[in-house]
Amino acid sequence: MMRLVWLVCATVLVGTLSVYSIQSHEPKADLTYVNPSGIHTLDPARMSWLQDFRIALNIWEGLTSLDPETLQPMEGAARFPPAVSENGLTFTFTIRPDARWSNGDRVMAKDFIRGWRRGMEPGCATDYTFLFTDHIAGAKEYVTWRREAVVVLTALSRLKEGWEITARQARGLVLHEAFQRALGSNTDLAHDLEHDAGGQDNEGVLAAKFGRLNLDWSALHEEILDEHATRMEERFARIGIDAPDDDTLIVRLNHHCTYFLDLMALPVFYPCHRSIELLREREPGAPITAQGLVVYDPQWTKPKYPRNGYPGLITNGAYRMSDWIFKRRVRLTVNPFFREAHALSCRVIDMLVFENSNVALMAYEAGDVDFLPSMAVSYDHEIARLVRTGRRDDFHLCPVLATHFWNFNCVSATVGRHRNPFVDARVRKAFSLVVDKERIVHNVLNRGDRVAHSFVPPDTLPGYTPPEGLARDVERARRLLEEAGFGGGEGLGPIEMLYTANDERLAQAMAKMWERELGVHIELRAKESKTFADDKANQRYMIARGNWYADYNDPTTFLNCLTTGNGNNDSGYSNDRYDQLIAEADTLRDPIQRAAMLRQAEAIIVEEDCPILPIFHYTEPIAIKAYVKGLVPNARLWFPFRYVSVEP
Amino acid sequence: MNHKTEPVQNRRRRAVAYAGNVRQGTWGWARGHHLAIAGAISLILMVTASVVTLPWSVQWFNVQGLDSAVRHPPSMMPVVAFEHYSAASATPKTSDRSRGLKPAPREELTRFVHRATSWCGHDDLGRSLLFRLLPAFLVSLAIGAVAALMAVGIGVAWGAAAALAGGRVDLVMMRIVDVLYGLPYVLMVILLKMALTPWLTSLFGGHSLYADLAVLLIAIGGVSWLTMARVVRGQVLSLRAEPFVEAARAAGAGPFHIFRRHLLPNLIGPVTTYATLVVPQAMLQESFLSFLGIGVQAPTPSLGRLAADGVEAVNTFVGYWWLIVFPCGILVVTLLALNFIGDSLRDAFDPKSRVHGPAL
Amino acid sequence: MIARIIRRLLAGVVTIACIYTVTFVMVVSLPGNPFEQGGRHLSVEVEQALRARYHMDNNWLYFWEFLQGALRLDFGPAFTYNDWTCNQILASALPVSLLLGLLAMLIAVMVGVPLGVLGAVKRGGWLDAATSGFVLLGVSLPTFVTGSALLTVFAVYLKIFPIGGWGTLAHLPLPAIALSIPFIAYIARLTRVGMLDVLGSDFVRTALAKGVHPRTVVWKHALKVAFLPVLSFLGPATAQAMTGSFVVEKVFGVPGLGQHFVNAALNRDSGLVMSTVLVFSTLLVAFNLVVDLLYAWIDPRVSESV
Repeated sequence: MMRLVWLVCATVLVGTLSVYSIQSHEPKADLTYVNPSGIHTLDPARMSWLQDFRIALNIWEGLTSLDPETLQPMEGAARFPPAVSENGLTFTFTIRPDARWSNGDRVMAKDFIRGWRRGMEPGCATDYTFLFTDHIAGAKEYVTWRREAVVVLTALSRLKEGWEITARQARGLVLHEAFQRALGSNTDLAHDLEHDAGGQDNEGVLAAKFGRLNLDWSALHEEILDEHATRMEERFARIGIDAPDDDTLIVRLNHHCTYFLDLMALPVFYPCHRSIELLREREPGAPITAQGLVVYDPQWTKPKYPRNGYPGLITNGAYRMSDWIFKRRVRLTVNPFFREAHALSCRVIDMLVFENSNVALMAYEAGDVDFLPSMAVSYDHEIARLVRTGRRDDFHLCPVLATHFWNFNCVSATVGRHRNPFVDARVRKAFSLVVDKERIVHNVLNRGDRVAHSFVPPDTLPGYTPPEGLARDVERARRLLEEAGFGGGEGLGPIEMLYTANDERLAQAMAKMWERELGVHIELRAKESKTFADDKANQRYMIARGNWYADYNDPTTFLNCLTTGNGNNDSGYSNDRYDQLIAEADTLRDPIQRAAMLRQAEAIIVEEDCPILPIFHYTEPIAIKAYVKGLVPNARLWFPFRYVSVEP
Repeated sequence: MNHKTEPVQNRRRRAVAYAGNVRQGTWGWARGHHLAIAGAISLILMVTASVVTLPWSVQWFNVQGLDSAVRHPPSMMPVVAFEHYSAASATPKTSDRSRGLKPAPREELTRFVHRATSWCGHDDLGRSLLFRLLPAFLVSLAIGAVAALMAVGIGVAWGAAAALAGGRVDLVMMRIVDVLYGLPYVLMVILLKMALTPWLTSLFGGHSLYADLAVLLIAIGGVSWLTMARVVRGQVLSLRAEPFVEAARAAGAGPFHIFRRHLLPNLIGPVTTYATLVVPQAMLQESFLSFLGIGVQAPTPSLGRLAADGVEAVNTFVGYWWLIVFPCGILVVTLLALNFIGDSLRDAFDPKSRVHGPAL
Repeated sequence: MIARIIRRLLAGVVTIACIYTVTFVMVVSLPGNPFEQGGRHLSVEVEQALRARYHMDNNWLYFWEFLQGALRLDFGPAFTYNDWTCNQILASALPVSLLLGLLAMLIAVMVGVPLGVLGAVKRGGWLDAATSGFVLLGVSLPTFVTGSALLTVFAVYLKIFPIGGWGTLAHLPLPAIALSIPFIAYIARLTRVGMLDVLGSDFVRTALAKGVHPRTVVWKHALKVAFLPVLSFLGPATAQAMTGSFVVEKVFGVPGLGQHFVNAALNRDSGLVMSTVLVFSTLLVAFNLVVDLLYAWIDPRVSESV
């Protein structure tokens, strides 16, 4: 018996060791840093996480890049500054002659158009399409046209299989001319459907009517797909992006934009090498899928991906990715064709994944890691204290362009079975007046964040001074609550606070303040992040935690979130005057006037209507070993490694 | 005779001594029960302490301390002034649960209890850890107890029904248990928790606290009955073959009657034993869910939650040892006590029964 | 024997099919959106088109398509980690977890069985008390506490092992030990109970009376019988250990499979959830089969009754 056990044990041991020995031992990197979670995606058109950006900005280069200290745009793959037309709406970029891809090819204007197009096409693009549609002439029309087509084609691909379609899809289909042609002589039916599509209440009726239609959906789908595919190029050419020759890229904007060169450094505006076309997925006869999506094999971002002759990811930045092990490590090495390749001091960089920040910090202390771009440990207050008392020079507190706030639900009459009092601006204001932000920031969190009186962080965005916001005033809050008919908290049901586990401490402290000062009863609802996001986006909450990180250096990156119908307007807030002010500010060319108008708009949200309650502007604790030179803590946590040198 | 060979007599004597040591071990047997008794006593003490202090702890467990009390280490003297707590006790709507309670106890008594507030230190909101531990113990124990009750209720019914029905029904019922066993536990609990929460919340009329507790109990109890069902089925199958059951059947007794009069009394032993062992398992599972951040809702404390919150309190920079030592200490004492009692019950009733593996 | 194996295999397939169905139903009924990343919201049109593309807008079709893919060992794309397929994720995480799990079970058997035997033989002595104490402590502390304690003591203060991560032999022992502790405790307990039972039986008494050395009786004859309950526990336990433990992986930064059970569910990554479940249930069925065969080999009486 025991012999058997030993036999099994020995086999297992040998087996495991042999599995183990497969791992090759590579030389240690010049710089090693830790990401708390793995890379989500390295596709510049899709990425929206800071840790993904951090890799991307080192392996790609946009038309401009950001100065790591001042965060001002500086020279990138194009000459700086570009030629700007008289009216400030046309930018002409000239690509540097020595801009090279990591396989030695020249970086050309067409590569930028290819990359930008991926940032707009439904199927490739995700979060940042709005940067194109908001700024570049003709982009909005193109994207709308494409999305409409996607709705129609998705509907048809469903009808083809005999499935139901949604009312939104039905509406899209009814308005499509090819569908109306297919209905042909049956004008009554067409008229009837069109009439239904106009209404709001009869969604089910409309969708059901399609089930009974006896059309050749396959043929219709094919017809519309073909027609759409043939018109795509012509429609795309109408967008204000042109490449008259290999070196010149002309961009036309739809409004004056002071921060346009800043945007050019963002991943969504990176170029894309032509080898990606090898991995395009297409329906027979069309470069798009049956749903009208533009889709590439998502594995194109791998350093090695042998399919269809694909050479692996080709990038144009200072580094290239030489190895990517899922949720374990990314290794960057110098791009040999980069213009300053020989001058780079940091040749090999490793990004390791440690899910547990506490372990990451211990590894840093032990010297296994040189740089921690975030330290989300539960004792972050202790880290902040070490920095403040000057006991640790290698820890830094970076004030970042980000705001922690709480949304009030401004639209739903009821939440669950309880009446939602926050549709009344007075209640929102009363709740805002009571919270002692100083106390939260300095006593509860105590990690060096800055108290927020406004949505936009002060002093960090050039030329903009945010409004003063509301000062704490409990008496006034009680009066306001009384005016709203809830004196002393009477008549208010339980108030639900929605957040994720990370904000537990803060939520408990805030709940206590409201309970004590206003006599209300708060119910805490910590949810796991996806349910939280779903509930928040669909306004199934009364008060919900929010946070926003700036995408670019301008107040509108914050203020646009609260315009009517904005996809990220979770509070459902809508105020015509606010929308108007934001829209008007975009037409102004004088930066001072523009800032004043934006300030006026922000004052509405932080002093009058209070759809959100800003609590603090984040400060990110980071750790950089003293021997690592050239890593500068900055407000966007933007760390280009090409300026870094590691002292032995 | 080879001098190296031990005399047979001698060898036999030692073997008997060895076997005696093994078989009788009277002292050991008694000691096993001593441990169980010690466990029971400590459990009773802890339950009494928690219940007696309940009027204060339900009002104080979420009272946030003054700034100086934040993460204050344990001290014999109270760190937070008495007035701070008495004010909290006087406010009518501090917590949902305090509403149904009688008016605050006499002030001298409260002053006396107040002296204990800093004995276990304070947490990161300056709340008294002791007065979080006391209700946490009850919450954890309640989760364990309800999970055990669910295991008993569903497990006994399922196992007995399968065994009594026999044949195809038995096969299908046990196959279902197999399938549920085959689902990865962690994933199941998470999926159950996420799938049921919205549904139950609406069922409870938006009372999310109850809905949350219900989901937690369903998630934990919903998997704890599986082993019980197997144990009971095995017991019933072997009991059914016993002569007295045969006799009852021959006398024309129906299956329900046989189950109630003849099988159930014989099942009580193993069922109680196993139920005692479900309690610590459920408590550990709750701590795991708390570690994931989907355990009991804040501010309600539970031992697992306090331990999970405290686990990072010990690191290279700071050592808020009390935040991890006290919750873990109580968790260990509770689980040890329950295990001792369970083991001793098992020794008494059925030395052969097995239980399901540990939760990871 | 072969008929028996075939019968068990068929039952295993049915079990896996049921597990797949149950998981599928739960995954598709969850609220939340797998396509959304970060804090921003996706446009409705694109989301619907993406769902249509992966046939996720028709649950029947999705069910069959995924199943067909799984039979071809192609688990499709991972929605949270766009650049990877489920196959690649499994391929990178499974070897790590298999290695760690095997090692942990090895430790658990090699430590747990002797502990249990000692506890039974020296019943009532200080050795029994010590082993029981250790065993019960092992079952009574959550893994995140024992794991963190091991890490703090052996990696941070004593600096014997590296702090977290994966890639060299030195990274192995700590997580393996942390993972094995609850199993050690459990195996020791099972062995002790089984051993006590066996030591009281007639054949042990006979062997002792015949003059066989007690050590031989205990370690050779009695253990062979007492090991049977441990063996039947080892089947599911090995499958569990080899599919990783979320807590151990999180505490030690091990890139194993356990994190995906949790994260895939939390991210609503339906493809990844179902692939991890399929891997787990296949391993479970396989190990139960192996245990079954071993059981029949060690104790031929059992083979007919099960």
